Amino acid sequence: MGWAWLILVLATYPWLLGADLASDALASSSLVFFITGTCLIAPCRRLRRWQAVLFAACLGFLFEARRPIPDGIVAFALVAVAIFLSSNRQHLRTTPGMLRAAAAINIIACLVWFVAAAYAAPVAGADLAWQLILQLLIAGVVGTVGLIPIALTQNAAMDRFGVPPAPETP
Amino acid sequence: MDQNRQGARASYVALAIFFAVWVLLPSAVRRLNREAFAEFQAPALHLVGKSRDLATFWEKKSRSTEEMAAAGRDLARINAALEIKLNALEDVRRENIRLREITRYNVPVEYMSVVARVATRDSSSWWQRIVIRKGRNDGIRPGAPVVFGNTVVGRVTAVHLTTSEVDLVTSPGFRCTAYLEGDDQNHIVLVNGVAANSLGTAKARVSVIPRDYSMPAGQPARVFTTGMGGVFPSRLMLGYLDGGTYATQVGNFKESLLIPSRDLYNLQEVSVLVPLHQNPGEALMQGDQFQ
Repeated sequence: MGWAWLILVLATYPWLLGADLASDALASSSLVFFITGTCLIAPCRRLRRWQAVLFAACLGFLFEARRPIPDGIVAFALVAVAIFLSSNRQHLRTTPGMLRAAAAINIIACLVWFVAAAYAAPVAGADLAWQLILQLLIAGVVGTVGLIPIALTQNAAMDRFGVPPAPETP
Repeated sequence: MDQNRQGARASYVALAIFFAVWVLLPSAVRRLNREAFAEFQAPALHLVGKSRDLATFWEKKSRSTEEMAAAGRDLARINAALEIKLNALEDVRRENIRLREITRYNVPVEYMSVVARVATRDSSSWWQRIVIRKGRNDGIRPGAPVVFGNTVVGRVTAVHLTTSEVDLVTSPGFRCTAYLEGDDQNHIVLVNGVAANSLGTAKARVSVIPRDYSMPAGQPARVFTTGMGGVFPSRLMLGYLDGGTYATQVGNFKESLLIPSRDLYNLQEVSVLVPLHQNPGEALMQGDQFQ
């Protein structure tokens, strides 16, 4: 189904909003509850490559829309990740593999936005290594813990709209 | 398998081309794209804010009669105290009018106040922001100061149709000039947010403090806006100097940290002071690439 990626964006959005609310609760500690990378895993197993690319771009732009990050950096990074994942689906065949991928992708995407935001920031940050490590740690943990419920929602949406199980070739 | 690899390679090449095109595109296109995704999220943010209000309403409605009676009694006492204050203020007002008539001073009515509820808060090392539930439809413009009472909360950085993003005083993007309490010569100091690098309270930096400045004894020095630059009205409170001042590397000036006078992450409502006429700062904001 051609529009499955768009429906999947709508089905994933409540999770992104939930993450924003969690970020709201963490605001006093300057940490962001980041799950955008994790949301990519399940769709990349089943969607065709071009659909996964559009889905990843939408996720990236949704994250960037209300934050001072240079336009398109997170979106294009996620698109590259989506191309990689949809070309190497053998890594996503098992649940442990998916969990590893979720943690890794979420950490990579988190690192991308942190560095991009640092580049766009009007002041230089000193001694931010601890904060970056903490942010990456949270991204890794949240990415791993959040994968199963997010993937369940996304799989249910894809089943409902007749997306076929993961093909061998994209 | 080879077909898969070739397809992946072609996709990476296409991505590189798209990225190059994206970089070369006029910034208006990128801004339009950002605006579209921000507007997509606006209804959900409104819903979240309103749900919070509704939860607060039902939480208050579920209070017992005894609690309400006790609260009413406390309010009556506060009302009585405020009435005395009101009378004192009325005296001050009359005095003020009399003095104005003497000096023929025209009150500058430069700002329109728009009260807005806070929808969400979002902060990281690189931004400290709140999203408010008022936007372009309510007359809010980028660059407008955001206050709570006489305390500066921050400045509007991006305006959408029904929501706006506010950079808090502690955000790295925030800059303004200020006066220090206890400085009789009214030297101008610079206040700017710093990148948050700890789990503690976010702070801003006060720089260009004169070497001969000494803080008032026994109390933290307050920091006020100067009113210069046309963004913030004068004599609004930015916060307090944190502890002592320390010399900069060059040694000509001193620096200190600023603690906001309110807990910026517990605000429910703020006022946006929208200038009635566009000021130079606002014009500069409109030219910003990253909002």
